[in-house]
Amino acid sequence: MKRRTFLAGLAAVPVAGCGLSGTSNTSSSASGQVTGEITFQTWSLKPKYTDYVNGVVDAFQKQHQGTTVKWVDQPADGYLAKVMADASAGSLPDVINVPPDLSFPLAKAGQLVDLDESLKDARPEYLENAWQAFEIPGRGGCYGFPWYLNTGPIFYNKALFQQAGLDPDKPPTNFKELEATALKLAEKKVAILGQTPSIADFGLYGVKLFDNDKFTFNEPKGVEFVETYKRMYDAGALIPEALTQNYTGAGAKFMAQQTAMNAGSAYDLGKFKTDAPSLYANIGITTPITNTGSANMFLHGVSVPKSSKNQATALAFGRFLTSAENQVAFAKLASIFPSTSKGGDDPYFTTEDGTDEARVRVAAAKQLKTAVNYTPVQFSDQMREALLQQLADAMLGKKSPKQALDDAVAECNRLLK
Amino acid sequence: MTHRPYTPWLFLAPGLAICLLFVIFPFFNMIVLAFTDASALGGGQFTGVDNFVRMAGDPKFWAAARNSLLYMVGVVPPLVLLPLLIAMLAQKVVPGIGIFRTAFFTPVIASTVVVGLIWTWLLDSRGLVNSVVEALGGTRIGFLTDSTLLLISSMVVTVWRGLGYYMVIYLAALANVPKDLHEAAMVDGAGPVRRFWSVTVPSLRPTMVLVAALSAVNGFRVFSEIYLLSGGTGGPGGASTTLVMLIQSVGRGLTGEVGYASALSVVLFVILLGLLLITLKLNRREDQL
Amino acid sequence: MKRAHGSLALRYLGLLAILAISIGPFLWQFVTSIKGPNEDVFVPDFVPDDPTFGNYAAVADVVPVWSFALNSLGVASVNVVTNCLGAAMAGYALARLKFRGRRFAAVIFASSILVPFEAIMISLFLVMRGFGLTNTLTAVVLPGAIAALNVLLMRNAFLALPAEVEEAAIIDGANAWQRFTRLALPSVKGTLVVVALFSFMFSWDDFLWPLIVLSDQEKYTLTIGLAYLQGTFVQNQRLVAAGTIIAVVPLILLFLLLQKHFFRGVGEGAIKG
Repeated sequence: MKRRTFLAGLAAVPVAGCGLSGTSNTSSSASGQVTGEITFQTWSLKPKYTDYVNGVVDAFQKQHQGTTVKWVDQPADGYLAKVMADASAGSLPDVINVPPDLSFPLAKAGQLVDLDESLKDARPEYLENAWQAFEIPGRGGCYGFPWYLNTGPIFYNKALFQQAGLDPDKPPTNFKELEATALKLAEKKVAILGQTPSIADFGLYGVKLFDNDKFTFNEPKGVEFVETYKRMYDAGALIPEALTQNYTGAGAKFMAQQTAMNAGSAYDLGKFKTDAPSLYANIGITTPITNTGSANMFLHGVSVPKSSKNQATALAFGRFLTSAENQVAFAKLASIFPSTSKGGDDPYFTTEDGTDEARVRVAAAKQLKTAVNYTPVQFSDQMREALLQQLADAMLGKKSPKQALDDAVAECNRLLK
Repeated sequence: MTHRPYTPWLFLAPGLAICLLFVIFPFFNMIVLAFTDASALGGGQFTGVDNFVRMAGDPKFWAAARNSLLYMVGVVPPLVLLPLLIAMLAQKVVPGIGIFRTAFFTPVIASTVVVGLIWTWLLDSRGLVNSVVEALGGTRIGFLTDSTLLLISSMVVTVWRGLGYYMVIYLAALANVPKDLHEAAMVDGAGPVRRFWSVTVPSLRPTMVLVAALSAVNGFRVFSEIYLLSGGTGGPGGASTTLVMLIQSVGRGLTGEVGYASALSVVLFVILLGLLLITLKLNRREDQL
Repeated sequence: MKRAHGSLALRYLGLLAILAISIGPFLWQFVTSIKGPNEDVFVPDFVPDDPTFGNYAAVADVVPVWSFALNSLGVASVNVVTNCLGAAMAGYALARLKFRGRRFAAVIFASSILVPFEAIMISLFLVMRGFGLTNTLTAVVLPGAIAALNVLLMRNAFLALPAEVEEAAIIDGANAWQRFTRLALPSVKGTLVVVALFSFMFSWDDFLWPLIVLSDQEKYTLTIGLAYLQGTFVQNQRLVAAGTIIAVVPLILLFLLLQKHFFRGVGEGAIKG
């Protein structure tokens, strides 16, 4: 339902969009010759994927004689600050690796090339849900080639389950079971979770997050969800650090075997193997906890800024990089998934070979067919923090769950402007 | 006249040029932004004193200012005294002293992430300290999850990290304490404690004032200790947020409210300047510039 | 004699106590960096079962440590020279020369210390862009080339010098520069060494500014280079720990070399405790 309203909005807006960018001379360069030099910036892919990216760059340069792609890779730490500095100076690289929450503010500020407009035939090559992740809801236009997708299983600690007398092969599958399991574990002083719910968790619970240009996760279902967490928190099912921790902190606590369950990604298995071998020996893997039937999905993309002096080449490279063939090759290397409409049919993603990795991969690939990027693109870092703080107040009993959510929504809507 | 009138300015030129160009000028730029509603990606409109009016009514600002102030008051006395004592301990050349001095300095150069990791390991709800407390029959203490205790725990880390740093400053200054003063005091029969108060402290006063000023400024501007111990947030419900943390969270990223963050920075600067002028005044009374 | 032994023992006791408090994180870092592939790294354990130095070799495989370290060394060395010279000159003028505007200059330096770097970072980036210096090591060096803090440290050191020495030189007709280089500077070697250490350390550790201002990997400094150990899909905490040790070792060596010079103050080592 939500998606359809977005589409309706899309149809109405491009006229205005065209008029705007048509007046500047940038749109002419988008349809120019594919030649010359461009810079391509990625998010922390060196050194592990150096060969892969160089391979793609070489192939592109071979296919388009006269082009040079200069690849720069930036470490994850500080990536945001780097993009921000370049964006305010108008010196963004020609092709830039961004997740939707980065592309959205850039696009909203009119700094990115609209792909719906400059590459009208690209859209069908990608999964519909991935393409939509790079649209500005209600305004139209797509501002990034979807690159790789990810969705995760839930990992749980079988040893801790056993310790509390629970069947290690029967992990919870929905939120009701989650609460029941959590309370049982808590009786034996085992905490289940290391985090309060993220906005995506609200989505998984079936809460309506955003409607009509406003956040709505304080609806009754949202309150019900926070009340569930409050009961779990009071019983000791969340570690005290859950009130302040982000995803990384919660992951570390899970690896230190202080919590019994954690949402993760396929590539986390490798991390457990290297960093927490004794957890790896007891690891249980199950499907995401969801009330909607759809799992959550994360994705990355590449965008082309309007400030690029060589948009035609930049666009051609972005499309080349995110083509089905190149994405499948990358996905196989990095335990992630292609965002193209075809890539997912590769036998690599549909057949198991008996290993844990393959099992997680096949399950995740299946999950992706219906997965949703629950986090609204408008949901900024500041909003994430506001939600976290309000939830902490609710858990501590400083506010009622309803009041905390009302306050969080009010702050998010103010930040939305 | 011992020098030509422009000579001092030749001495000052390189230092002044760097400071003016790369600190003061960008800072003026920021002051301008404080009067706009600029975001990270847009120039913004002039909004007069709106940001400051908003600040006055923003409970987060007042809470953060209070936390910063408390923090400063908490860390300055130990940071002025303890490193001095350590410096005196490490001053005498005894076998292996170089190793000791270097070891004392390692907290200063250890990576902040590792410092965060180890202190979390010590203090978190299942950390080392809490297991001792539990073994002794007590209940777990929320060093990192109670907003007041989190502030205190962070102060401990700040003091711990500052020991080696200020020790070095004191070591250099101790060398300037004239030896004959000590000898004269010894002849008078003064014991080590009395010599400390009657000789060392008075000769080190300018350095102590400098250390006090620096640790006050750094204490008021605290960020990384609380950030690391609270997993990147300002404690539960943001109740332990300090001013710099607030500035960071408001202005961060592409969605940051740069105008408001700039206004907060200006206020922070004014407070710090006030603090500094007070310490300088104290200093001037002591050594008559 | 007996008393001296007792106080020496007491002194070592104190030193050992502070040592124990100080080196925890460093030990942790080191132990993690030599842990073998089958050991947990998120569980505190100070005795590795299967110690190996292979992680260090692995870091060098993953990151071109040497070329990054060379850039860092270059930047840090320049920083040491500019800071020692520039801060000493400015500090000398503030402490030993009388002129109109001295307080004004002091206020400029003092207020520079107060400006939070994060708040001016973007403006600073635009300034560098205006000079056409982005993506150069010069831009990495410049903002910290003469740190205000060092100016104040030097000013304090010069203030402590007895006035008589210079007065004699003035009578002999020495000009300000001669007095600075021949009399004042040699007397504040201790503080100069501290300034050198601090400038090297800050420059060596700086992460955010070089990251913002540089975009070619060939120019990256070591701290940025080591950040690559925390990849998007892969990271090995043992390598991260080994990386931080690699970054810290030069600083430790430098400190070990410099620490005995902290005492070369007035009268060149006349104070022995």
